Amino acid sequence: MDTVYLVKIGEILLKLGNRKEFEARLKADLKRRLEGKAARIDYRPGRIFIEARPGAEGDVEAILARVPGINGFARAYRVEKTPEAVFEAAVAVAREAASAGKRRFKAESRRSDKSFPLTSYELSRDIGAAATDALPELVVDLHTPEFIINAEIRERAFVYGDTVHGTRGLPVGSQGRGLLLLSGGIDSPVAGWLMASRGLGLDAVYYHAYPYTSQEAHDKVVSLARIVAGYTGGMNLWTVSFTEIQMRIKQLAREDLTTLMMRAAMMEAATLLAARIGANSLVTGESLGQVASQTVENLRFTGSFTDLPVFRPLIGMDKEETVGMARHIGSFETSILPYEDCCVLFSPKHPMLRADLARERKAYADIGLGPLIEEAVNKVERLPIPFQVTRP
Amino acid sequence: MIYLDWASTSPPDEAILQESAALAVRFFGNPSSRHGLGAEASGRLEEARARLLRSLGGGRAAELRPAQGRIVFTSGGSEADAIALLAMLRRKDTRRGPAPHIVVSAIEHSAVYEEARLLEGMGMAVSYVNPGPDGIVSPGEVASALRKDTALVAIMAVNNETGAIQPLAGIGSALREASAALGRHEPPFFHSDAVQALGKVSFDPEALGLSSAAFSAHKLRGPRGTGALWLGAKLEPLVLGGGQEEGLRPGTENLQGDWAFSLAAEKSRTSLEARRAHARELEARLMAGLSSIEGALALPLGRAAGDERYSPFILSVAFPGLSGEVLARALSDAGIAVSTGAACSSRGNKKGRRILEAMGLRPDIAFSAIRVSTGDLTGEADIDAFLEEARSAYRKLKI
Repeated sequence: MDTVYLVKIGEILLKLGNRKEFEARLKADLKRRLEGKAARIDYRPGRIFIEARPGAEGDVEAILARVPGINGFARAYRVEKTPEAVFEAAVAVAREAASAGKRRFKAESRRSDKSFPLTSYELSRDIGAAATDALPELVVDLHTPEFIINAEIRERAFVYGDTVHGTRGLPVGSQGRGLLLLSGGIDSPVAGWLMASRGLGLDAVYYHAYPYTSQEAHDKVVSLARIVAGYTGGMNLWTVSFTEIQMRIKQLAREDLTTLMMRAAMMEAATLLAARIGANSLVTGESLGQVASQTVENLRFTGSFTDLPVFRPLIGMDKEETVGMARHIGSFETSILPYEDCCVLFSPKHPMLRADLARERKAYADIGLGPLIEEAVNKVERLPIPFQVTRP
Repeated sequence: MIYLDWASTSPPDEAILQESAALAVRFFGNPSSRHGLGAEASGRLEEARARLLRSLGGGRAAELRPAQGRIVFTSGGSEADAIALLAMLRRKDTRRGPAPHIVVSAIEHSAVYEEARLLEGMGMAVSYVNPGPDGIVSPGEVASALRKDTALVAIMAVNNETGAIQPLAGIGSALREASAALGRHEPPFFHSDAVQALGKVSFDPEALGLSSAAFSAHKLRGPRGTGALWLGAKLEPLVLGGGQEEGLRPGTENLQGDWAFSLAAEKSRTSLEARRAHARELEARLMAGLSSIEGALALPLGRAAGDERYSPFILSVAFPGLSGEVLARALSDAGIAVSTGAACSSRGNKKGRRILEAMGLRPDIAFSAIRVSTGDLTGEADIDAFLEEARSAYRKLKI
């Protein structure tokens, strides 16, 4: 009775025309991330089976939980296709759950090999009986079970308990590559994670304004990029020096417009950089109305400085939801480290809330940031962040 | 690196460190042991204690009189402060339990301020006395915070950001008067964090009317990990153990550190007049230079060179329109070390501005301040280099 990770893939199965391409991406992604951790990866219709190298189980689980395109996974017993072997494994699953204090359970079976002597219904019924015989404290409860004993009769028989949730979504890169505007805050890593789980490959750009922003602030962004890279499978962090641009804006822009002008310049720079690295979209952590620069009018204004689609997956979330997701992906504790990414001296006391598109675009043009932005993007610094296993 | 951050820490005196390391190797016995090795070590420890006490006493450098009171060696200034403040949890001033009320200044170092906040959180009433705009806490303000049930008053000797010397003698006598007026049996326990005073200004705890005072060795070219609590009154320990250091600081004594501390304190005491005169010259040079940088402000506003109310070793300077943190970063890149607020509390939070804001400084000015602090090895060229770099960084980065 050996064990194997049974991996469930989800949304890919719904893709009819180009399912093969999605599967190929997922396979390649898994192969790369599990390098040295998995002894064998076996692709079957609707399922992937992974044998972990001894001692690498923790890493394999951490990786599987983070690969977009995977709905969930479970550590399964792989046994002979005989009812007795399945019952023995089912009792083992039940014993583990019972020792964790769980009592109410049900059994679910799937049978793709119709030569198996029991039907799915009969198999579930008999698993229930075998488990309660061996462990009298267990009770069958079909409606509110505390755990489920699953049996799948396929090439072999697989028996497992509860499934660990995966990141779901689509394989990374199946939707092209986006450029994430990564600040040191809570929102942008979450936005990156959400878009990565929709199949977007990611690079990140950070606008550094040294000495106004500290080296510690940059280090913090590198840490956040590492966390996001645990989901995307690795990425590049591009650092653009914004010091000159920030100073020019502070000198020439009307005070209430400084933040908006800065955001516009960031959009322009991101668009230039995206073209250079082959990204097809921008990703930001903006949420409607969260701060002054994120009103509808101001989003329209800043969005007008790019012709790329701008994905703002947090646009309809409140802060609490975002914080919950940040905790889930393990970025929250890093995000709340106190190194401010934007010096408060640059922030206006009463920022413009409702930009007039034409008027403010003219104001922006009057500052004449074009050459400075081009120069900053020309001097961009790339930091490759290789994939590594992260555990929150 | 041009080092202008002596109030954070000072370069250790190598000869002193070597002497005390050799001593610790030779007299390695546990001072509490009954055998000969223990007695030898204990003898050296008491020698160090007496030397430190002598460095606190009054008199001219040539003929130091030992101070009254006792010395309890600690692991540093913070621990010395903590022993005094946390002892209030064992004061049975009322039948109901610990001391009901304490008074501290709003400009205390975190070692006192955070302990006071802790005691407050545990149910003790705490009054925080603000300084005037000059950074100085007035005796009248402290005395008017006194209550009949006040167990402790803690006022620092020299502020670590502004260099303001607090009028401890005046506060002590105001407390005695107010105590009598309130019909108290005796004045409250009077503690002072004197970490920036020892070796920098004349400081005789007994003459100032203190009950206890906290010191740290590494501010005066001694080693880290060593400090002392001077005691003129009785305290109950909160940390218990083997009974060392009057039971107030249990744990096997650190002969190496304590020996080095006593030597450093003695050296700084005997050279005090000369070093202070040197610091005054540097202060004058610094302030003259600052006055030619348009916009720069010496703090507290109104402080002039040679003002005896301030330690000449410490000067805060505001550069309005430029965050102090940013300027410190730019100066660091140019090879000059200064600090923003207290180095140990400025790491990424806004607490470092607590002291300047308690003085009523506008937040944007407080925010733009850096602290320049000098020491024995600082020369005029260092001040000139700082002035030049600060001038150019301010011009370039001001927004």
